[in-house]
Amino acid sequence: MLKKRLIPVLLLQNGLLVRSELFKIHQIIGNPIIEVQRFNEWNVDELIYLDITCEGAYDLRREDHKIKNLSEPLAILNAVSETCFMPLTWGGRIRTLEDMRVRFANGADKIAINTIAFDRPSIITEAARAFGSQAVVVSMDAKRVQDNRLEIYVAGGRRATGLRPSEWARQVESFGAGEILLQSIDHDGTGEGYDVDLIAEVASSVRIPVIACSGVGQFEHYADGIHAGASAAAAANIWHFKDLADRQGKRAMARAGIEVRQNPESGR
Amino acid sequence: MKYCTKCVYPGVAATPLTFDENGVCSGCRVAAQVTTLDWDKRLQMLKDLVKPYRSNSNYDIIIGVSGGKDSYFQTHVATKVLGLKPLLVTYHGNNYLPEGEYNLQRMREVFDCDHIIFRPSVDVLIKLNRIGFKLQGDMNLQNHCGIMTVPMQMAVRFKVPLVLWGEKGFMDLGGMYSYNDFVEYTAKGRKEHAMRGYDWYDFTDAGLEKLEHPELKEGLADKDLLWGQYPSDDEIDTVGVRGIHLSFYVRWDANAHVKLVKDLYDWQPVRKPFERTFRNFSNLDDMHENGIHDYLKFVKLGYGRGSDHSCKDIRGRYMTREEGVEMVRKYDHVKPRRDLERWLQYVSMTEDEFDAVCDTFRDPRVWWIKNSEWWKDNIWGEPSSYGPVANPVMLEKFNKWGRVQ
Amino acid sequence: MKILVIDYGLGNQRSVVNAIRLLGVDVLVSQRLEDLSGVDRIVLPGVGAFGDGITNLRALGWDRVLNKAVFEQHIPFLGICLGMQMLATVGTEHGFHDGLNWLAGRVDRLTPESDTLRVPHIGWNDVAFKDADPMYKGVPPSSCFYFVHSFVFKPEAQEVISGTFNYGGKWVASLRHNNIWATQFHPEKSQRAGLQVLRNFLASC
Repeated sequence: MLKKRLIPVLLLQNGLLVRSELFKIHQIIGNPIIEVQRFNEWNVDELIYLDITCEGAYDLRREDHKIKNLSEPLAILNAVSETCFMPLTWGGRIRTLEDMRVRFANGADKIAINTIAFDRPSIITEAARAFGSQAVVVSMDAKRVQDNRLEIYVAGGRRATGLRPSEWARQVESFGAGEILLQSIDHDGTGEGYDVDLIAEVASSVRIPVIACSGVGQFEHYADGIHAGASAAAAANIWHFKDLADRQGKRAMARAGIEVRQNPESGR
Repeated sequence: MKYCTKCVYPGVAATPLTFDENGVCSGCRVAAQVTTLDWDKRLQMLKDLVKPYRSNSNYDIIIGVSGGKDSYFQTHVATKVLGLKPLLVTYHGNNYLPEGEYNLQRMREVFDCDHIIFRPSVDVLIKLNRIGFKLQGDMNLQNHCGIMTVPMQMAVRFKVPLVLWGEKGFMDLGGMYSYNDFVEYTAKGRKEHAMRGYDWYDFTDAGLEKLEHPELKEGLADKDLLWGQYPSDDEIDTVGVRGIHLSFYVRWDANAHVKLVKDLYDWQPVRKPFERTFRNFSNLDDMHENGIHDYLKFVKLGYGRGSDHSCKDIRGRYMTREEGVEMVRKYDHVKPRRDLERWLQYVSMTEDEFDAVCDTFRDPRVWWIKNSEWWKDNIWGEPSSYGPVANPVMLEKFNKWGRVQ
Repeated sequence: MKILVIDYGLGNQRSVVNAIRLLGVDVLVSQRLEDLSGVDRIVLPGVGAFGDGITNLRALGWDRVLNKAVFEQHIPFLGICLGMQMLATVGTEHGFHDGLNWLAGRVDRLTPESDTLRVPHIGWNDVAFKDADPMYKGVPPSSCFYFVHSFVFKPEAQEVISGTFNYGGKWVASLRHNNIWATQFHPEKSQRAGLQVLRNFLASC
């Protein structure tokens, strides 16, 4: 049977990996290339890179580091895909089909779009037509507003859309998206677990796979997201904070009765 | 150059920083979290965490110790507060100050603990000093490698899963994480932050060949660097090795710790003041940490321990920002004669060679060249010169980067 | 050994190239038909829609030269994902499109029996294969491979099926007929098991 996936999400800001909290606070964690080398040694199912830079300047900060400066997102994607032997999704600052084409050519297997999907939904259809819907991920961010109601925000959590998550999810599915990457602004970086209500709302309103993200602080949290209907459990921060996070994550999921891909040789 | 409005850190730093809309750096912001946290709750979390690791037949925990104030504090917490039986493990990089050596040797007496002091071959250390310096501008590479590797190797060998570390480096200075992250020791963290992407295999002849630096070869082979070889994922997994940082569970304050370890254990600070910092209780295990290793930080990034220690004290409210700026002015640029002279003799290098290599690490985001001198911004006012360019190759490079005036 | 990976304007050849290079073999990626001469192996990767893929292939002239290379010169050929689907008689993604018709059959939308199963089929799934098949030599039984697709190949002749996956029904994971190898999954993304399949392809005669 199709396994549930465990996916690290790596956030890039100005060419560096950052940790995120509530979509507002970002601290630099390190070098994007070294991460991929490490993940290649691990048993993760896919990798998602999100470029959340606002301004245009990239710089890898340290001349005395083994891996020197890369100052363009494409150069980073290139270097990542050279060492990355697993399915790679690249998102962030993608506005046109040409942007997508270039990322595919530089090694991405799937691309993720967020704000542009809302501003110009026909791009979802165009992308699905050109690249196949399975290569088009729509990333969506939700925040709780008055009366604890969930609302979709775009532009890195700065602009309200007035849409409920289930509404927007149904729309993107009808436009041709292949997958949804679902993030919770309130749970981001808190380590308190997924927003399972959000996940359940979106997962039950569409038939395309949903990747849950935001809030994982312990390996036990992954199962909550899967049980709420997600096909894949994603997380960003925890991969930097605990070692052997792949084995431990998958073991926790397996203990909760979820079927995951394990390495037959080392039983991890 | 942008500087933090609260402490004295520059925007370009060894520990990556970000600034918020008020110009306050991530280091200050994370440090400010400290007073808002429930430390009683965290201590209880720690007590609960260690429970399953207590053993009837083996050490309960491994503590990597250098003999410094933090080592004493950690061992104090482990033995007196948590009531554990630790195995103390030291990597001895051969750079101890006499007071540091004294503090180190006493540990097994004052704490009634078993203590392994791992002392690598001095010949190998000297070679690594040279390679580290020329390749990375860091002669203390061997130190970072050994300290980050040997305790974990011992954990695997002795089958003691829990390893106690102190502060989470990069968090205490640059605010890399949040106190809610409870960051644990990771192989990735060791490689990326402590080793800057390099590892032991880069320093053998074969490794240097691969890095296209055959001129740095020192005849080192795999067997010379056994102590630097981090255990495999499977080895770590089999024993269940887990490295925790005490600073997430117990409030960290260097000044308070020093007082405690002096009072309870007669820990000795250094008698002769350091040339590059006002503190007398930091880094006694390695004379170069406050010395030329730190001078290299100034050469690369334009700041040093004067800034680091001021930031810590400003955040701990032991010092004002104005006082910090004065410390920066007084200490950051100092070329430390005492340990420089020791090192040059240790590795058989001349000062001219040293200066020439130093220059190759100057960061163009910080430095520019004017009248064949190195210039940079200063936190207290106008930019100024910091001496002549020693390496003519840098004139060309900086010209290419548009950094020559 | 010379390997040609065909670039027909769709998708990402980089992963395939990286994987083959990892196996120690050199690889040429080309749009030029001339580069087909003298090669020992041909790889046709693919990400995208059936219609666009076939149109591009034909526009560049690959259909003719590949026919010759595969059926007359018997050069081993590997089609991956869309590269497998285009070998069919017809594909039904966004309308009806004629495929290369190397292996009789159609490519239709994946329709798992259960409503709870989501489409596209994305992720790692077990593949059941015949032990003796050279495609899977050295691959541990029920290994996982990486799939990312919404359409499946339904061949007329069952004998050409070398591997299947379960997803609300039994579907084709791979086909093999003489020197034509084809996988729905991405061996270049399927870590050890996938690399073994690629290795087997490179070793095939």
